[in-house]
Amino acid sequence: MPGWTYIIMRSLIFLLLLFITTKILGKKQISELSFFEYIGGITIGSIAGEVVTGLESNMFHGGLAIAVFGAVTYFVNYFSMQSKKFRDVVEGKGTVIIKDGKVLEENLKKERYTIDELSALLRQKDIFRIADVEFAVMETRGNVSALLKKENRPLTPKDLQMKMANEKEPQTIIMDGNIIDEALRWSGKGRGWLYTELEKLGVTLDNVFLGQVDSYGEITVDLYDDQIQVPTPAQRPLLLATLKKTQADLEIFSLETDCVKSKAMYKKNAALIQEAIDKLTPFLIG
Amino acid sequence: MTIASNVKQCLSSIKGIEAQLASLALNSLDKESKVIFHETMLTIEDVKKDLQYRVLELERQEPQFKA
Repeated sequence: MPGWTYIIMRSLIFLLLLFITTKILGKKQISELSFFEYIGGITIGSIAGEVVTGLESNMFHGGLAIAVFGAVTYFVNYFSMQSKKFRDVVEGKGTVIIKDGKVLEENLKKERYTIDELSALLRQKDIFRIADVEFAVMETRGNVSALLKKENRPLTPKDLQMKMANEKEPQTIIMDGNIIDEALRWSGKGRGWLYTELEKLGVTLDNVFLGQVDSYGEITVDLYDDQIQVPTPAQRPLLLATLKKTQADLEIFSLETDCVKSKAMYKKNAALIQEAIDKLTPFLIG
Repeated sequence: MTIASNVKQCLSSIKGIEAQLASLALNSLDKESKVIFHETMLTIEDVKKDLQYRVLELERQEPQFKA
């Protein structure tokens, strides 16, 4: 058998072996969070490389080494889940490097980081002033997590005491012109509803590349034919506008009429609608 | 435009709002939104009843505007 057939055969076998090992170890292996996963990932890769190119003549030795590295990582992960102490030893703990806006030089020295390296890591997180940081931790992987001081954090609706409507995740119900029935069921809709909505937009199903339904049951589509303008869903903003118009109309009626009883009736209802507008605004904007 | 026709127009807007709120209440996935849409729909329904009564009153007073 010529040498290149060996290489092809070994490549395929080891590709499969690596695939199985990674599947067994799970997503954690890909992220290489802990020491064992990091070392395991590098070593398993090199072993596979060596064996495939034939530097190591015995293929089974290479397979065995990969299996051992995989098994050790697997068991370390297993025991880490059982015991906090074991976890602290093998996976390490994050080191606090900034507290109350002050750099803890001792801890920085312990991790053998210079202030330049620390500033570089912080700059990657768009932090240029160390004084803006309330608290920062050097994670076990060597990256820095920083908590900014309250006044430097991005503004959220909560800070403005704005009430925001809660939204569910959008569901992708059409892909490549095919209906995804599972997603459709998740959003509590059926095919009949979908056909009606598509007809309302004036598009055919096979022209839709991507279709999503949001938490209000509004559907947005992306078409294969980019020349066609699809109407954007405007039902809710329009509804808000109609509500405001009606409220104004009722106030006008209350001013125009001479009948005392009707005046009171219009006024009461104008107030009711105003209340409804206030309540609905977070759900109808945007 | 007479008052009666203005009020009638307003009444039909209200009916439209009520229907849209009903459909939003049924189509929304979030429970809180569902509740709010439903509650306001009921409020709007009360307004609708008042206006319907007023339209009848206006038609009785000014029969020439009866549609």
